[in-house]
Amino acid sequence: MAKLIQYREKCIGCGICEELQPEYWRMSMKDGKATLLHAANKKNILIRPIHQSDFETSTNVANACPVKIIQVR
Amino acid sequence: MGRKVELLAPAGSFECLQAAINAGADAVYFGVEQLNMRAKSVRSFVLADLEQISFLCKTHGLKCYITLNTVMYNHDIKLLQLILQAVKKHEIDAVIASDFAVINQCKLLNIPLHISTQANVSNIEAAAFFADSADLIVLARELTLSQVSDICKEIGRRQLKGLSGKPLKIEIFVHGALCMAVSGKCYLSLHAQNASANRGACTQECRHPYKVTDLETGRELVVDNEYIMSPKDLCTINILDQLVNSGASVFKIEGRSKGPDYVYAVTKCYREALDAVEAGTYSLEKVEQWMTELSAVYNRGFWEGYYLGNQLGAWTSKPGSVATEKKVYLGRGTKYYPKINVAEFLIETGSLKANDTLMITGAEIGAVKELVKTLTVNGVLAEKATKGDKITFKFPYKVSGKDRLYKLVANDG
Repeated sequence: MAKLIQYREKCIGCGICEELQPEYWRMSMKDGKATLLHAANKKNILIRPIHQSDFETSTNVANACPVKIIQVR
Repeated sequence: MGRKVELLAPAGSFECLQAAINAGADAVYFGVEQLNMRAKSVRSFVLADLEQISFLCKTHGLKCYITLNTVMYNHDIKLLQLILQAVKKHEIDAVIASDFAVINQCKLLNIPLHISTQANVSNIEAAAFFADSADLIVLARELTLSQVSDICKEIGRRQLKGLSGKPLKIEIFVHGALCMAVSGKCYLSLHAQNASANRGACTQECRHPYKVTDLETGRELVVDNEYIMSPKDLCTINILDQLVNSGASVFKIEGRSKGPDYVYAVTKCYREALDAVEAGTYSLEKVEQWMTELSAVYNRGFWEGYYLGNQLGAWTSKPGSVATEKKVYLGRGTKYYPKINVAEFLIETGSLKANDTLMITGAEIGAVKELVKTLTVNGVLAEKATKGDKITFKFPYKVSGKDRLYKLVANDG
């Protein structure tokens, strides 16, 4: 199963991920960065499995991230 | 201090901060976390660094200003408040901002405010409008010297005061990168790569070469200089006396993404030039010497910006820097012998020989040039050192394992 990965520390809080895929992303009101929802957090690297039907949107999100901290693997 | 003009240097890291201190800056500006226009920069401070930044600046008698100058969204407000509370606690001298959320919060928290160049203040009425909230206005970079001078005179005539009750101050840019966008409000990166310059994520699209192609025929138009959107860097050291007479009281050097060698060299030149203007010893010969030193560090070629009413046309002709010198990485600090003031470095790559000019950079050193006349390699005098060797030489600053050693060589492009 494919995974979505967010290297959260370098997020600049532009909000494009939440805009494109609101069911996966939420802008934190605490520190202004995006948070990958329902993800495991390993040292501020957030990882969660994604359903195949979400693969294309997730890839679009990864491509849209201006600081390239989102990956689909 | 008693100086007529305050020299404001960029600090993107502790190395750069130390370099600015060493070079004689009166003040530094910096950003933390993601709410500043260099959010994407590899060099960046975090909120926890504020205490140390404030301590260092106070110890050395410098003022420090924090940039909170991006466009702000709803989800940024909490972080903004956290940063402002820390700014208050650690007595940072002022916030630089253009977003009304920041302006309002600073007023509520009684934090001194400088209006960022992003606000594009270009006339006296706009300056007067912001005087209710701020103590200083950074004018738009596109103004001519006479426009700057007129605004300063009018502030004096109207006796405009800032929020603190002191006369409203004016800041102008004196050196560093310019861009084709009005007051930095650029959407090119956003359109090309979804990276907003206004959120500190400029991808420098304007610095690339472009060609114009007719999509119907595939024919290409000839463009004189394909770097049609990339202006040369601002340099005003040759007109600095005129800038001092304009009435602006803070002179800003651009470059929070630049390295400590750049910060040191540029700040030092402008420190010397400002001191020379005040002492009445500013001369053409000195300007030539400073121009040589400024040309050695990162630059895209120089012009005097819009101050003299120049038409745009001073575009770069090459990608990246045309600096006359470049740094070549050699290795890291390994030991320091304080009793005899000797530093030891491990050469990790490349080689050096006696009489090479070296540069050592570090958080406690800044950027220091050192001409090593006699080279001691692994404890014996030698002509050359290569990878794996340990070299030692007399050096007045304490060296740590994080300090980096470079060789300065001519940049042949």
